[in-house]
Amino acid sequence: MSHKPLDIKAGDPPLTPPTVFERTWPSRIDLKQEIMDEVVELLIGKNWVDEADRAWLYLCFDEVVVNAMLHGNEGDPRLEVIITVRLDERRWVVTVADQGDGFTETAIPDQSQPESLMLEHGRGIRIMQEWLDELTYYRGGSVAWLARHRADAVPPSA
Amino acid sequence: MPCDFLVVQRYDKIVLAEVKKERLLDPASITSLGEALIAECDRTAKISLVIDVTEVGYLSSAMIGKLVAVHKAAKLSKGRVAIVGLKPTLLQMFKVTQLDKLFQFAPEAESVILEYKRKPL
Repeated sequence: MSHKPLDIKAGDPPLTPPTVFERTWPSRIDLKQEIMDEVVELLIGKNWVDEADRAWLYLCFDEVVVNAMLHGNEGDPRLEVIITVRLDERRWVVTVADQGDGFTETAIPDQSQPESLMLEHGRGIRIMQEWLDELTYYRGGSVAWLARHRADAVPPSA
Repeated sequence: MPCDFLVVQRYDKIVLAEVKKERLLDPASITSLGEALIAECDRTAKISLVIDVTEVGYLSSAMIGKLVAVHKAAKLSKGRVAIVGLKPTLLQMFKVTQLDKLFQFAPEAESVILEYKRKPL
């Protein structure tokens, strides 16, 4: 099975697509479900994501919100997590930013290695890569950029 | 920690564990379910554990990792684990990370239980 390298860039995320939603939450894990529900309902309610893909959305957002709160912000409830939803005619983007120092790819187990099979962690990024069109990290890993084509996008004319 | 959304039925060494919860996302649920399933493995040597997740709609990668821990516990007791009733999207998540090499999957519990009765460990 092929293994996609994780894309971690030092700089800021692009300014486009334009932001249609932005909200800041305290870094409290007990708020995770509320945060995920709000973003999931926005994406599905606007038909940017198919209802059938709801389980993928929850897995992806659980992964990035938990990482932002527990790893990026080190579980400190005084720190914040900022979530944006961006949109153009072709795709939606969700960014999740924490106030930490980021991470390197060496922190993620290589799922292509047989010894990784029995690990109890480290699968989330590989699963997200399967469904998302883009999974990129900016600011050294403290901003997650998740993008996928819009479910309601008009396909290019044949 | 008791798991109030797990229903367990034991047929000698075959244990059917039905997960009665739609969302396996919050840390407390993941921990209590994992501990309850591992306790079943610790209690029964050569366990044939059938985990029925028909009612589960959403799970996190942390829950998938916890199921790997359950698999390890079953192997320690010289046992085996099947996961039944996985929705197609969730099954794809397991396959992406090659966990179909670790677990047996089936659409429903009955056929696996019959198989385990025919082929005891």
